[in-house]
Amino acid sequence: MTVRRLLPVLGIAVMLAGLWFPLYWMVISSFTPEARLFAPTLVPREVVLDHYRALFGGRDFWTPIRNSLIVAGATTALSVGLGALCAYALARLQFRGKPLMLAFVLAISMFPQISIVSPLYLLLREVRLINTYPGLVLPYLTFAMPLTIWLLVGFFRQLPAELEEAAMMDGASRLRTLREIILPLAWPGLATTAILTFLYCWNEFLFALSFTLGPERHTVPVAIALFRGQYQVPWGEILAGAVVATVPVAVIVLAAQRRIVAGLTAGAVKG
Amino acid sequence: MSREASLGWALTLPALAAIAVVAVFPIGWTTWESLHAHDLRMPWLGRPFVGLANYAEALSSTRFWSALAHTAVFAALTVTLELTAGFVLALVVDRIARGRDLVRTAVLLPWAIPTVVVALVWRFLFETPSGLVNDLLRRLAISSPTWFADPFAAWVPVMLADAWKMTPFVAVLLLAGLQTIDRSLYEAARMDGAGWRRQFTDITLPLLRPALLVAFIFRTLDALRVFDVIYVMTAGGPGTATEPIALLTFSTLLQNLRFGFGAALSMIVFAFSFVLAVVCIRLLGRQALLERVR
Amino acid sequence: MLVRCRSGRCRAGWTLTLAIGAALCAGCGVGQDPHILTFAGSAVGAEGQVIRRQLDRFQAMYPSIKVEVRITPDAADQRHQLYVQWLNAHAPDPDVLQLDVVWTPEFAAAGWIVDLDQFHASTSDFFPAAVAANRWKGAVYALPWFIDVGMLYWRSDLVARPPVDIDDLERLASAATAQHGVPFGLVWQGARYEGLVTVFLEYLGAFGGRILDDAGRVALDADAAVAALTTMRDEIVVDRIVPAAALTWQEEQVRFAFQNGQAVFMRNWPYAVGLLQDGAQSRVAGRFRVASMPAGPGGAPTSALGGSVLAINAHSGDRDLSYRLIDFLLQPEQLLERARVVGQYPPRPALYDTPALADALQIAPHEARGIIERAVARPATPVYTELSEILQIALHRALTDQQAPRAALAGAAAEIQALLDKAGLGAGR
Repeated sequence: MTVRRLLPVLGIAVMLAGLWFPLYWMVISSFTPEARLFAPTLVPREVVLDHYRALFGGRDFWTPIRNSLIVAGATTALSVGLGALCAYALARLQFRGKPLMLAFVLAISMFPQISIVSPLYLLLREVRLINTYPGLVLPYLTFAMPLTIWLLVGFFRQLPAELEEAAMMDGASRLRTLREIILPLAWPGLATTAILTFLYCWNEFLFALSFTLGPERHTVPVAIALFRGQYQVPWGEILAGAVVATVPVAVIVLAAQRRIVAGLTAGAVKG
Repeated sequence: MSREASLGWALTLPALAAIAVVAVFPIGWTTWESLHAHDLRMPWLGRPFVGLANYAEALSSTRFWSALAHTAVFAALTVTLELTAGFVLALVVDRIARGRDLVRTAVLLPWAIPTVVVALVWRFLFETPSGLVNDLLRRLAISSPTWFADPFAAWVPVMLADAWKMTPFVAVLLLAGLQTIDRSLYEAARMDGAGWRRQFTDITLPLLRPALLVAFIFRTLDALRVFDVIYVMTAGGPGTATEPIALLTFSTLLQNLRFGFGAALSMIVFAFSFVLAVVCIRLLGRQALLERVR
Repeated sequence: MLVRCRSGRCRAGWTLTLAIGAALCAGCGVGQDPHILTFAGSAVGAEGQVIRRQLDRFQAMYPSIKVEVRITPDAADQRHQLYVQWLNAHAPDPDVLQLDVVWTPEFAAAGWIVDLDQFHASTSDFFPAAVAANRWKGAVYALPWFIDVGMLYWRSDLVARPPVDIDDLERLASAATAQHGVPFGLVWQGARYEGLVTVFLEYLGAFGGRILDDAGRVALDADAAVAALTTMRDEIVVDRIVPAAALTWQEEQVRFAFQNGQAVFMRNWPYAVGLLQDGAQSRVAGRFRVASMPAGPGGAPTSALGGSVLAINAHSGDRDLSYRLIDFLLQPEQLLERARVVGQYPPRPALYDTPALADALQIAPHEARGIIERAVARPATPVYTELSEILQIALHRALTDQQAPRAALAGAAAEIQALLDKAGLGAGR
């Protein structure tokens, strides 16, 4: 009995250790002096902050962090705002063309980003939005809008219809019902959607690489990827940057894992 | 009823309009571009109409076909790897009685990390000559290839990195599926004297089929778009031995600035994904779709 | 006396008044109409300090002009994309651009940079090959700022003399690695990027080959080219004097390997000299020397000609001032300062006779001058970046043993010829 109980625990421990090892290695390497980066020891013998100092002192890593926060934040706000209205209508109102709309939203979420890079580049160039924040937020809507609509339709459908009906009986309009009854009830769903959208935006690379040009507008992933400049491979700084880019998502995952799992499975398992 | 319909349209329109502007209109533009020769580097050539010449060039280019092949092989291998590993992981985590949430958080973390970061960390592990992997192999007296200078070996770190990041996603989906299975089914099966193998093939597998299908579809669509991990780890090299179609399109567009030809590549990618998306929506079932709007 | 004194005072008074007036006027001028020039280029590290110091001096000379530095990405691809973006949008700034020498024909053909002949630049004061690389349809569109050439670094504590030719280099490298336990015989930048093309160009010249022949036809499928690429591949695969890892290396990784004492020979640009002499970082300080690249059968010692040039945005608001800035940056004083601080070779041959340069460079100036005069430029064509990409892929395929050198080069030659024809730039241009 004890063996049968211990075995899975042991299995889990080994698996988790394997799964987490690259992260562990990234973190300890980012604190290892440059000279010893490639002379690894499992437990660090010396901890230095050199790479972090270089990251924030020499490279001004605050700029990409700020850019990422602005772009991901604005995209999340915009797509959750517009998406909530759209999703509510799709989930609750009766009108023709809904299945088609939903199929359309789903299809858009499935198509590859690369297929619209060229027109978006030309379009943004035409309206002088290359290398600006709106020039990233707009392209980000292509994946953020379908995602939020899809998730929120699921969440709105889970809400009990009775409350809404009762409110409408009392003479409240649809919009007022939405504002005063549905939205307060739906906030966990909205939060989940916002978290997932933010994560996707924070991690996005292709659009950010295509539509930003200078270091002043690079987002975190682009900034780290381009550390490999013309000459150098500054591994210490790259790994320090990797740790910094990971901290926010790690915090989000730790704080909201239940919501994220709910979002992922709602977005997928139920169809 | 008609008031409700007009409200419905009023609420959906802003979001749909936004999607139309940033996604549908560009697709139309790409189609138009793909029929023209448009090279930002050679403005003196203008933007003449060339019919299907860009498509013909793509279809007659060996680089294009090998990029397609790389994409397909990458998708096939990583999806297999991720589904297998994710399934095992889900089964194991499902057996935990206490602290399952904690373990699930731990499992989920790699999925949330930016792909660029994942790629850099794995590149660091496989760096030649003195990265960690080479160091370990040396201690085991195994000679290691020069990972990123070998057309086949270069795929190993790339696929491992992708699998490491995406297996948790599969595991979480399957775990949710496992947890919807009624435990009493297993009890009953045990009463009937079915071993774990029978339980697995007769209960777990059939009941998990929908979740497996969803995981398969999402992973396949995603793997066919692969860009970040390869751009960062190998940049498509050595030569073009690890270049997927998304990277070929990207460098045609933004490094060579050949927008006409790049648009043709984009359209081909789009056509493939469109067909695939339609098939997937069919597989998922109209039912799942309708359930959401009814 | 008194009168004179008074008149003197008077004159002094007038002068003072005039001076104040002039200063005020200049002040008004600055306040109302500040001539702001923007300069885009490398502005980080020691290079950034030098350029800022020089711009300060320029502004001190012309108080009505203010120069702003626009920082651009370090990676060549990124900077190129940024410039294309700016110039293609007809943006009026930056006014003055630091270009890689291989971009000049592309930007000139697109009408993005100014024909400098209108300023009667004394191009004869510069190395002819460096100026020629900036010509498009007969006119000069950019002036060389500093010159990069490929050099052979050799460990004077491991081998007694520089190699006389490529065979000799391979012999010396094999012997030294075996005898001294140094892991690598030779290191060069073999990653799939522009740097690989420059290394190939040097082997190509060593075997007497060229990328384009006199008629402008692609000559990459010639026997000399095949021999050059085969030699490069065999150094990795057969003789194993070049590590396979070098196929993922750019300049800095190459330098680190040499600096850590892991290689007998290194091919690199002049910038490495100063860094390798820095005993705090380098394990080979004082134990290496620099020579010209070795020749092979049928060719001559060849260095690739690289470096940066300065050009003016065609939509700049003030071309004359922009040229004045370029002219200032290209004065001997500024060039010598760059040579001293960042080890960059000046483009004026006359400077190689001055003692100041002898102090600045860690190689005899006449030797450096000889290497530059023999250096070979890459093809001057508006489609160079695409040409280079085709070539990089073919070279990398052959070097990683995915394709035979002859097949790889034949494929590249056909593709490049088609590219030139398509752009209307084929033979007989």
